[in-house]
Amino acid sequence: MSNEAQGMRPIIELSHVEKHFGKLHVLKDINLSVQKGEVVVLIGPSGSGKSTLCRTINRLETIDSGSIRIDGELLPEEGKELAKLRSEVGMVFQSFNLFAHKTILQNVTMGPIEVLHTPKAQAEAEAMELLRRVGVAEQANKVPAQLSGGQQQRVAIARSLAMHPKAMLFDEPTSALDPEMINEVLDVMVELAQEGMTMVVVTHEMRFARSVANRVVFMADGTIIEQGDPDEFFDNPQSNRAKEFLNSIKGH
Amino acid sequence: MSANVISMRDALYEEPGPKTRRRILVGTIVASIAVAALFVFIAWRFYVTGQLSPKYWSFFTKVSTWRYLGQGLLGTFQVALTAGAISLVLGVLFMLGRISRNKVGSAIFRVVVNFFRGIPSLLLIYFFFLVIPSYGIKMPAFWMLALPISLTASGVLAEVFRAGVNAVPKGQREAALSLGMSEGKVMRKIILPQAIRFVIPSLISQLVVVVKDTTVAYVVSFPDMLQNARVLITNYDALVSTYFVVAIIYILINYAINQASVAVARRSGAKVIARTEEEPI
Repeated sequence: MSNEAQGMRPIIELSHVEKHFGKLHVLKDINLSVQKGEVVVLIGPSGSGKSTLCRTINRLETIDSGSIRIDGELLPEEGKELAKLRSEVGMVFQSFNLFAHKTILQNVTMGPIEVLHTPKAQAEAEAMELLRRVGVAEQANKVPAQLSGGQQQRVAIARSLAMHPKAMLFDEPTSALDPEMINEVLDVMVELAQEGMTMVVVTHEMRFARSVANRVVFMADGTIIEQGDPDEFFDNPQSNRAKEFLNSIKGH
Repeated sequence: MSANVISMRDALYEEPGPKTRRRILVGTIVASIAVAALFVFIAWRFYVTGQLSPKYWSFFTKVSTWRYLGQGLLGTFQVALTAGAISLVLGVLFMLGRISRNKVGSAIFRVVVNFFRGIPSLLLIYFFFLVIPSYGIKMPAFWMLALPISLTASGVLAEVFRAGVNAVPKGQREAALSLGMSEGKVMRKIILPQAIRFVIPSLISQLVVVVKDTTVAYVVSFPDMLQNARVLITNYDALVSTYFVVAIIYILINYAINQASVAVARRSGAKVIARTEEEPI
């Protein structure tokens, strides 16, 4: 938790990012920088472009104009350089996307072995340690289909962590989960945040946003409407758009 | 299997009520009688035309007859397995070319795949037998048969593999890319292994087509089973009985291949696309 001491160093920096899906203008002049150790939560109504924004950061979505820098380096457009940068940014998907034909252990060792060329024994030892950390070590030899959604998502987090990423992107990591499994995944994410991992999280979990985020970014219609300290944002939103959104999701 | 079949039937048809059950029973009885009558008729015609006489069948008691057919069967297997193996490799290569993002390359492979998929293998065999040698390239009868068969099969397999690749969820590719794998590695390590598992039953069914394609071996005078059967027919002047026996052997082989595909499909446990296990061709 000594990240503040290292001063402000942006790990992720987007400036003037624009993107269209055909005629639809999904990202409009997005400027966002994420400091080392910072947890930034993206919230907003569906279709606001928050998932797209998250996916542009490791170029699973291309951008039309503007620039994205990871740790000061301009995001390459293709080839080995792009692959290398992607290997440094972990990504957790809404639908887990574990490799269906591999065991849990192989899912986690695959990145280190194939990309970082870590020796197999070492990769497996590290993978088991990570699986223990996220609480699914007993499932190491099963295949993804045999695990619950919550377990699969925790494996997916372990798979990303195995690459020792500089930052992690979470694209609605709990949206595909049954309600009783959401917390087991959020717990792992809270732990990661406390360890100082730089995180960008697209989520609808407002409690998580409030308790873990350093900053909440509210998006609507492809634009960042407002951003700020979570307590401030939730208690006293500035824009009407944010007020409407927060009212609409207020508990029953 | 039965559990599967029942669930599939439930999905397609309603549970029959008493009237429908009676109608099904009547239909079953009528159909059984018709089939039995057909068999009796065939046997009777065989008898009347003298096809059942011992001179047409007795040579099947000789070891030499079976050894000769067996040699032909071996030839059939050699061509079928060689052509099958080549077509697997070519099928993957054609598919990779077809899905390549290089527009020109993709267009070329699209033409190649559709050419081999559309052309009758017999025509291609004539090409290898008549046209290519006239340019001074000589090859044994075995290859004049195996190569054209594998080329036509690989056109079909390319499309089968492509269906398999398309069936792999998009997220698998994205997850692999986000780990930092190259496009090539994603294809080799993540997409292809899953795609192939999806299409194993279709691949094995295609082997049946390959086995049947080998029967045009007579064109290039390659001694496959049917070619050897022709020799037997000439020697013993026994056309119907020989074709009858050989047809049954082919049916048994292809039935065995289909059963193998069902077994493999079930063991791989993967979701299976294209032909279902209920209707192996």
